Amino acid sequence: MKKYRKWMQVIILLVIAGIGAFAIGGSFASKDDPVPKAGGQAPDFSLPGLDGKVHKLSDYRGKVVMINFWGTFCPPCKEEMPDIQAQYEKWKDEGFEVLAVNLAESKITVQGFVREHRLTFPILLDEQMEIRKKYGVVNYPTTFFIDRSGKIVWKQEGQMQESFIERQITGLLEKM
Amino acid sequence: MVENTKCECGHQNSIGTVLCESCGKPLFDEHGTSLLEMRYDGVARRSQKANPTWIGRIWNFFSSVKVAVYLIVITLIGATLGTIYPQENTFINIDPSTYYKETYGWTGHLYYLLGLSRTYESWWFRALLFMIGTSLVICSLDRVLPLYRALSNQQVRKHPQFILRQKVTYTGDLPIAANRPRQDPAFTANGHTAENEAAVQWVNEMAGILRKKRYRVRTDGTALLAEKHRFSRWGPYINHIGLIVFLLAVLARGIPGWHMDQYLGFPEGKPVKIPGTPYYLENEKFSVEFYSPEEVPKLKNKDQVVPKKYETQAVLYECVEHCGASVEEPVLKEVARHNILVNEPLNYKGLMAYQFDYRVTPQLVSVRPTLKNKQTGEVYGSFELKMNHPQETYTVGPYQLTLQRYYPEFGFENGEPVTKSNEPKAPAFVFIIEGPGLRQGGEPYIYFPREIDKVNFGQDRINAELGSRLELSVDSMEDVKISQFTSYLNIRVDKALPYIWVGAAIFMIGLVMGIYWQHRRIWLRIDGTRLSLGAHTNKNWYGLRREVADVLGKAGILVDAKSLETGGTVRES
Amino acid sequence: MNLDSISSSALLIAFLIYCLGFLLFVISITGKKWSNRDPHQHAKRWGTIAFIVSAAGFVCHLIFFFTRWYVAGHIPTSNMYEFMTFLAMMIILAFLILYGIYRSPVLGVFSVPVGIIIIAYASVFPNEVQPLIPSLQSHWLKIHVTTAAAGEAFFAIGFAGGLMYLLRTVDFSGSSALSRREILGVEFTLLVVAVIIGFVAAVFGFHAAGYKAQFSTQVVITDKGGAQQEITRYTDYVLPPIFKPNGGKLESMTPFLGMKEPLFETPSWMNGNNAGRQLNTVVWSVLFGSVLYGLLRLIARKPLGAVIQPLLKGMDAEDLDEISYRAIAIGYPIYTLGALVFAMIWAAEAWGRFWGWDPKEVWALITWLFYAAYLHLRLSRGWLGKKSAWLAVIGFVVVMFTLVGVNLIISGLHSYAGV
Repeated sequence: MKKYRKWMQVIILLVIAGIGAFAIGGSFASKDDPVPKAGGQAPDFSLPGLDGKVHKLSDYRGKVVMINFWGTFCPPCKEEMPDIQAQYEKWKDEGFEVLAVNLAESKITVQGFVREHRLTFPILLDEQMEIRKKYGVVNYPTTFFIDRSGKIVWKQEGQMQESFIERQITGLLEKM
Repeated sequence: MVENTKCECGHQNSIGTVLCESCGKPLFDEHGTSLLEMRYDGVARRSQKANPTWIGRIWNFFSSVKVAVYLIVITLIGATLGTIYPQENTFINIDPSTYYKETYGWTGHLYYLLGLSRTYESWWFRALLFMIGTSLVICSLDRVLPLYRALSNQQVRKHPQFILRQKVTYTGDLPIAANRPRQDPAFTANGHTAENEAAVQWVNEMAGILRKKRYRVRTDGTALLAEKHRFSRWGPYINHIGLIVFLLAVLARGIPGWHMDQYLGFPEGKPVKIPGTPYYLENEKFSVEFYSPEEVPKLKNKDQVVPKKYETQAVLYECVEHCGASVEEPVLKEVARHNILVNEPLNYKGLMAYQFDYRVTPQLVSVRPTLKNKQTGEVYGSFELKMNHPQETYTVGPYQLTLQRYYPEFGFENGEPVTKSNEPKAPAFVFIIEGPGLRQGGEPYIYFPREIDKVNFGQDRINAELGSRLELSVDSMEDVKISQFTSYLNIRVDKALPYIWVGAAIFMIGLVMGIYWQHRRIWLRIDGTRLSLGAHTNKNWYGLRREVADVLGKAGILVDAKSLETGGTVRES
Repeated sequence: MNLDSISSSALLIAFLIYCLGFLLFVISITGKKWSNRDPHQHAKRWGTIAFIVSAAGFVCHLIFFFTRWYVAGHIPTSNMYEFMTFLAMMIILAFLILYGIYRSPVLGVFSVPVGIIIIAYASVFPNEVQPLIPSLQSHWLKIHVTTAAAGEAFFAIGFAGGLMYLLRTVDFSGSSALSRREILGVEFTLLVVAVIIGFVAAVFGFHAAGYKAQFSTQVVITDKGGAQQEITRYTDYVLPPIFKPNGGKLESMTPFLGMKEPLFETPSWMNGNNAGRQLNTVVWSVLFGSVLYGLLRLIARKPLGAVIQPLLKGMDAEDLDEISYRAIAIGYPIYTLGALVFAMIWAAEAWGRFWGWDPKEVWALITWLFYAAYLHLRLSRGWLGKKSAWLAVIGFVVVMFTLVGVNLIISGLHSYAGV
């Protein structure tokens, strides 16, 4: 009888400890998704592209990826587009990819812009601004540089110079 | 070394028993006169045993009421700290790392750094609540079983020491005849002596009086046990169970899918996706009513308008096709419709939408322009042109319009047409029109739905020659759809909620049971002509004394309720 | 003579009758020593008369309540004035119930004044009938507020009983460290009561004298259209401005004792539109209350508690302890039901979450935890007598902070009580 009681105590305390870990541990895990930043894993997402296909970030695992959040109404975004295009052409055969996430603009608007500026990299359409929120983007343009393993290496807010882009890309391409 | 725990009445008690489980005789302080410790009727409790293992130590720690009170008080103080400055969870668009510093100075910043701006989500606060929960479980388990055992097998005839060392006692000689032998063979055969018989009769009378007072009475010749409202003793354990259920339910909200809480803005006229769900909600129309100045006699500040009613006519859609990331438009099916008022949310399968706030955001939703021949006045037809994701091609009469470019907020920059934002504040559409009388491959035509933009940007001048032949314009305001308001709704899912109410209900039941009724017991025995009476209750001694005095009075013994109290007056510490 | 004026008159009459009831209770205790009478009979007779009078006052109070309900179209518990008068009514009711159980006139001496003081406190606030804003338009307004007030009313009686117990048992002539602490505690409590009376006296006094001062502040507000505009907000002071609103410009001010300008400026970290006025009022109340207390103390030449103690000699200390505990025990489930359970249900319905750690909610929880600790200490740890009495007194302070302090000092979802 006594032994039975002792085991009951142990079991009850273990269950309670388990619940406790869940209860208190919950406050350490950040609320919902933390804002992704350098050093963290880039959250996966799927978005339809202007090309009519659905693009998933994890599909590009193994490549160096640059995610650029932009809009046609944002002058600095527009200014850096030619630089991005140039770099894309230079490095795309070496395993570099650009995913330009457009912020909830109509397809027509985006299409017109893309055609005008002769952009050839994938343009993704974030219609409900879900991915923008997921990545904690508040200013435009914002660019994330992601290495081959899917980790965010750098988050850049604001317009980029071509030399800066090149430095980031080459740095990441070197790391295998 | 085996402790001798066998009582003089013959019953073998477990180690640690204070009062004999059978006759109630005190096992330790046999010849004392102080009040008996009546907790759990003196039964041995697990946590009172000596030499505990470390498991035992943890158990004893949480079983202690003293510790529980400390936990309650520390939690209370911790909660107070969280009210000094507004908490982070009330912010929607404010950055905490700068807000506290800016608004409250260095004390505010210190508050933020210490984590007090997130008091109720902090690890230490949760740990306190968790420990209270643990204490609830262990305190109750430790006590309810011994209590149940003690109360289930109560013996009627108790040891005189037990009776006379209760907090409410009475002793006295009874006015019964000392010697009244009854020459009744049947009676004497029962073992009752003549003296006893009068005593037994008195006890039975007393039993009757007590039964009238709703006591359950058991007699054993010249001894009696009367008990009332035992259920009240279980009250605290039931209310503790209620609290445990409540706390577990709150914890369950951490289970994925059980809890969601977001604030979203819904402009009139278009379905907005609710992230994390397959649902879209459309604000068909929002309206706000204010109290007129006559209705509000004294407006403290003239800029203050007092709102009377907010209402959102909402439609909930569920996406049935192309729901994930897809190039196709999602196909929506209407599943619910409700006019959301402040105290009346929309509720669909546990998804709730509450009216929270609103903003005045006038915005063009769509227009219905008509294509006309400017020279002959012939009307070719009209079509619906949405400001948000407009269609690409339109057929109007013999003409085919293909949308080439769309600028939601048209402007010029360095001579180039650009859009200044992605909101339709000054929309401009560039169509390629193909059809009779037009060049092969179509001709460009720019259209500004807003009259003011048409004038400012010179629509006709840009369209040059084509503009003098064809006209695309809206006939009347009926063809213009505008959204006036954006309604802010709080979207919630809370699967744990029913369990929270269940926990609260169980708690209330237990609390009421325990507080509004008391468990009362009266023991008495007659030895010779001497009556010994003892009574016990778990609370409200005042009421018990009055009742005992009343009962004795009905049996012919007049006492003052106050005099029934023994063991000293209230300890003034 | 319309219903609205009947309503306010009814309250005034109730107030006066309560004062009379209080005096009669005092007579029932002090008159025991008068010549030519049996103390027991005297107390009983006058106690019964005082009880009947108080009950009559309660009836008038009910008339005030129901006529106001009819005039307003909603239950009159939606702003500070209405709630406080309702609380006072519940306190009187709780007292009447407890008197019925214990038949103790001394309880009347302390409970009825609590009701009186609360009515006086309530009268300071704007008392026009006002329509309900959307979030208050629910039948839960009736249920939550009334039940919570009923629970708090019992806590108020517990406080009265606890205070009485302390006044009865604290040794005012003792010189040990413990005695000195106790005397200090009792005197401080009486000082706080004096401050509340001071508040009422200050406001009524200056108001009657026609005192007025006005400030204007430039405030930038964002309206519902998202546009920001700068408007001028006017703040009226009823008391001479010791503290003017932060950033406020003096528009006009009746000079007071040679003071033509405000003395200080409210620090900027004090939030809220009315922070300046509220701080000013608090400072004046403390001043008035302290002066009142100081004067009484000077006249008495000993701690005020010592002055009151002889009046309580006839009362059995243990009974006081019992009544105080019993009141709190009766009130606790009612309070839990009203202030927590119904509040959670209403919050879930109106705001979509049953608990949001809003300051008012947190303080209701703090009150609840406090009384839970009280009950555990008393029932399981044997904390009787003075310890219990002190907890009863402190507990009511927590209650009053929840009702008044939170609205005054902290802002949140709940601060539409009209203050």
